[in-house]
Amino acid sequence: MSAQLPPGLQLEKTDERIMTLNVGPQHPGSGHMRLIVQIDGDYIVACDPDPGYVHRGEEKMAEYRNYITNIPHLERPVIHDSCNILYPYVLGVEDILGIEVPERAKYVRVIASELNRCVYTLYWLAIYGIFLGHSTMFMWPTGDRELFIDLLEKMTGARVTHAYMVPGGVRNDLPANFEDVCLRQVDYFEKRIAEYADVFYDNPILIARTENTGVLSRTDAIRLGTTGSVLRASGVDYDIRKREPYDVYDSLDFETNVLRAGDAYARSKIPWLDMMESCRIIRDALSKMPKSGSVRVKLKPNPKGGEESVYRRVESGRGALGCHIISRKKPEPYRVKLSVGSFRNLIALPYLLKGERLGNMPSVYWSLNYWPVEADR
Amino acid sequence: MGTATGIIRALNSGVRHMARKRFTLRYPEQKLKFVGDGYRYDPVSGVGIAGLKGRHMLFHDHCTGCQLCAIACEGVAEAIAMVKVPETHKQNKKSIMPQIDYGKCVFCGLCVDACPFYALYMSNDYELSSFTKEGLIYTPAQLQVKPYVSQDAEIQITDRGATHG
Repeated sequence: MSAQLPPGLQLEKTDERIMTLNVGPQHPGSGHMRLIVQIDGDYIVACDPDPGYVHRGEEKMAEYRNYITNIPHLERPVIHDSCNILYPYVLGVEDILGIEVPERAKYVRVIASELNRCVYTLYWLAIYGIFLGHSTMFMWPTGDRELFIDLLEKMTGARVTHAYMVPGGVRNDLPANFEDVCLRQVDYFEKRIAEYADVFYDNPILIARTENTGVLSRTDAIRLGTTGSVLRASGVDYDIRKREPYDVYDSLDFETNVLRAGDAYARSKIPWLDMMESCRIIRDALSKMPKSGSVRVKLKPNPKGGEESVYRRVESGRGALGCHIISRKKPEPYRVKLSVGSFRNLIALPYLLKGERLGNMPSVYWSLNYWPVEADR
Repeated sequence: MGTATGIIRALNSGVRHMARKRFTLRYPEQKLKFVGDGYRYDPVSGVGIAGLKGRHMLFHDHCTGCQLCAIACEGVAEAIAMVKVPETHKQNKKSIMPQIDYGKCVFCGLCVDACPFYALYMSNDYELSSFTKEGLIYTPAQLQVKPYVSQDAEIQITDRGATHG
């Protein structure tokens, strides 16, 4: 073990008491990530997250591909939330090209993105379970996730990277008999996630480990610019689906879940409550959806936009997800910028971990709903 | 609620699951059933037909060698190459047809959307593994073969939980 490690990767002693510890770079069920933690005994003095290990240059790549060919690679940062990460891009391109989307396509998109939110959240929850050493909570969500993957597979033809949304609607119509299958599986799933309460959310061991750890106050949540479940767990009622309804969200019946505690427990509970709302949205959208009609506007090959710049945002599984597209009268966008929820939630981590025990680090880290690949893009 | 009650409830919830049916699919013996015969696209209406995006199916009597599928793939995976085929077709003057490298293909199906002649579809075949990289390159003759699939397992929801049968 005489090989010299690169600077910043070895254990360092900064003074008599404080020790710098590198947690990672490793792959905690999501993507490579490193936390540089300074500890005094068992207590964290400072934490410096070090993202960037999975940077793929998605935004630069988007400048060399046309509006349609961008679709398969732009969903790669979050492959299991691929409908939601494409949603703002597709909405923005529609603004640039001036496309009016058929009514049925809007409902199909909402259903696809809500199913996808559940797929993402269940995966997140499974990893949260295994982070806390709760292996039942790893098995159950991973199994129940199959219900939604099955539905999305019927809908889009792929299990994870769907490439389903396109400017002008969706790629294909729903298969025959989809509504019955969807309702049956969503009804079953609602009963199923109610059981998570007994084994996980009401479990005294989980509560003891996560309650009052990593408390983010309401003012800090707003000041640091966090979004999504982190913001809503700190008592701020902010959901893009309610605040800036896109597509048909304004006509659907659902509520946002807000908790006041702001600790890791509240942050882990909000996505679970959101899944129940997602089930409500899916059921409502299926009943309000026009039973027939086109789902896609036919575009010209290599469509060009004008001199425009648009910014659209949606609520993804991790919070507000914005997409800024600049068009310069070419088939390719001049610039595509993704503003992702993961990166904005990460900024809260140093504040949350200060003064915590090192053992609480995984539960606080993963409760931020942070996805390294998306943050690095 | 006290700590003891909470732990007992959690354990009880787990114990009740012992009577549940197994959810997992016994994969090589059982295979999931998909809708239809794979993803298709209707160039007249501009809307696709739902189905699994698996291995492609190439219809030699429709392909004109126009290369639109290869152009569609250029910015995505560059998996499609146009190659010479020995047989001649009336509609295919240059006798070139797509050859697909499944080591690169991402199964997005944009090539199917690009084909205006109903020549390229996707099929339900997803078991494409090979020992060599060359084995992943499918020639037009291989793409012509309709895959044999036996997929029949579906999620069934019973009062003893969801199962694949």
